[in-house]
Amino acid sequence: MDSLSRTSPLTALALAFVAVIWVSPFAWLITTAIDPHTTGVLELPRSIGIDNFVNALSGKSGLQFLNSVWLSVGTATLTVVICAAAAYPLSRLNLPGRNLLLWGLVLLRLLPAAGVVVPLYFGALWLHVLNNVGVMLALTVLNLPFALLLLKNFFDTVPIELEEAAYVEGASLWQIITMIVVPLSRSGIAVVWFFSFTGAWNEFLLPLIFARTDTGFPMSVGLFAAFGEHGYVDYGFLAAYSLIYATPAVAVYFMLRRNLNTGFAGVGVKG
Amino acid sequence: MASQASPWLRSARVPMLIAMLPALVLVGVLVYLTVWAITYSFTNLELTGPNSINWKWIGVDNYVRLFTRRGFLDSLWVTTVFTFFSAIVGQSVFGFAFALGMRGLRGWSRTAVEVALMLGWLLPDIVASSLWLAMTNPKGVINVVLLQPLGIPPTDLLAKYALPAVIIANIWKGTAWSYLLFTAALDSISREILEAARVDGATGLQRIWMVILPIIRPHIATNMLFITIWTFTYFALIYALTGGGPGSQTEVLSIFMYHQSFGVGKLGYGAAISMAMVIIVGALSVFYLRQLKEPK
Repeated sequence: MDSLSRTSPLTALALAFVAVIWVSPFAWLITTAIDPHTTGVLELPRSIGIDNFVNALSGKSGLQFLNSVWLSVGTATLTVVICAAAAYPLSRLNLPGRNLLLWGLVLLRLLPAAGVVVPLYFGALWLHVLNNVGVMLALTVLNLPFALLLLKNFFDTVPIELEEAAYVEGASLWQIITMIVVPLSRSGIAVVWFFSFTGAWNEFLLPLIFARTDTGFPMSVGLFAAFGEHGYVDYGFLAAYSLIYATPAVAVYFMLRRNLNTGFAGVGVKG
Repeated sequence: MASQASPWLRSARVPMLIAMLPALVLVGVLVYLTVWAITYSFTNLELTGPNSINWKWIGVDNYVRLFTRRGFLDSLWVTTVFTFFSAIVGQSVFGFAFALGMRGLRGWSRTAVEVALMLGWLLPDIVASSLWLAMTNPKGVINVVLLQPLGIPPTDLLAKYALPAVIIANIWKGTAWSYLLFTAALDSISREILEAARVDGATGLQRIWMVILPIIRPHIATNMLFITIWTFTYFALIYALTGGGPGSQTEVLSIFMYHQSFGVGKLGYGAAISMAMVIIVGALSVFYLRQLKEPK
């Protein structure tokens, strides 16, 4: 064993200290959210109740939660369906210039999204979709390059022999896709769905520009608008709303972690 | 690689090509949007008023304005400070230190530290903002737990030390990514090399500086590439915390672009700011990608 692999008590103490600092905002978040009479100061809750959560899920806040769900599930599903339909032929057919196309797109997307915000705004204005549908379409366009590349690389790892065997046995194209290709590429599809979902769930700039009414806000803009809405900051409401908003983003990661690990392994091996 | 001779692929060729159409349309949209973004930057297009319809070509005026008017250069400086201290110094150094320090840890203590790091990373940007808003106010945790015991009167940290506050918030939020990358990098170093260095009498610091860092050089460059691009164009966390203020102390380029485009309404100028950001990020990326190659 080299000494770098052994943890001295001093290192352990330093790590523990930093970990406490890292976690303390969450401690504040939870104690504040469960105390209906909170003043926003870090302390043991004087009372415990779910009033804050009820407030954060009723009225327009509840609508904003539903908006976020609709926006994120819609974006992720749209991205996966459109990109898988194109990535599978890209993997199987020997199309000329396909690598050029894929890497050209990725280069285009490495550039900051801020660059296309202005044309996106005009596009949505022109299509009369200055709302969550517009955000969904815009995010799907922006997701396209990486989703195509990831899915194409993933389909490359699914052996074509299985499809050929099924074809010889008389399976139709639809049967081959739904019963062989999709089940075998579950983890790749899960990775792309996860990235698109969290991306849309967290997205702030596009809804900020596109959304017109506070009942149409997704939670990112809703939380931002709640910062100073009541003339003072209602910390109990803010903390409960933050917890509700953060939970799906964190939960999706832990739910898909096993898929993500196998999915990441197939990423970037081939171009 | 698929062979063209396969009867299965020959039969499926036409439906597959049809299935590609929606994605190809969206690719066209993306290219079209990019071309428009470049085009706008040479016009006097505005959000409202006569120039929103009858816009004119004004050549490179918007780009000249970047350097002759106040605003852009100040904002570029704020962005540089923010990126340098929060990503290049903060996230990578902390991420590396965590990765190195936790190599020997196993079991629940490792899981606890990892989950603490990951939670910050997985949180939506605006939740991180609301947390740091609450942490830094005069009655917040930092004032009550850290500063008051030292005899420092309660201060509104976000108003008084805006830029350091958003830098710390971003370090807190983003370190997990560097940690994950450096953990993978350190795992790839063989034990024999470190053992050999120890036998030859290298101290701990020498082993880090002269053995580990040169070996993981490509990982460092990859990490820098990603966190620089992300941090340089970061919008949500800073905007929600300070809105660019007080004054323009935390007005990074993405916020400056947003204010000029959708606040003031000068979309053409905003597009020119975006293009400047694209050029700067592109140049930085080329620099890091060259570092990825082995030094000869």
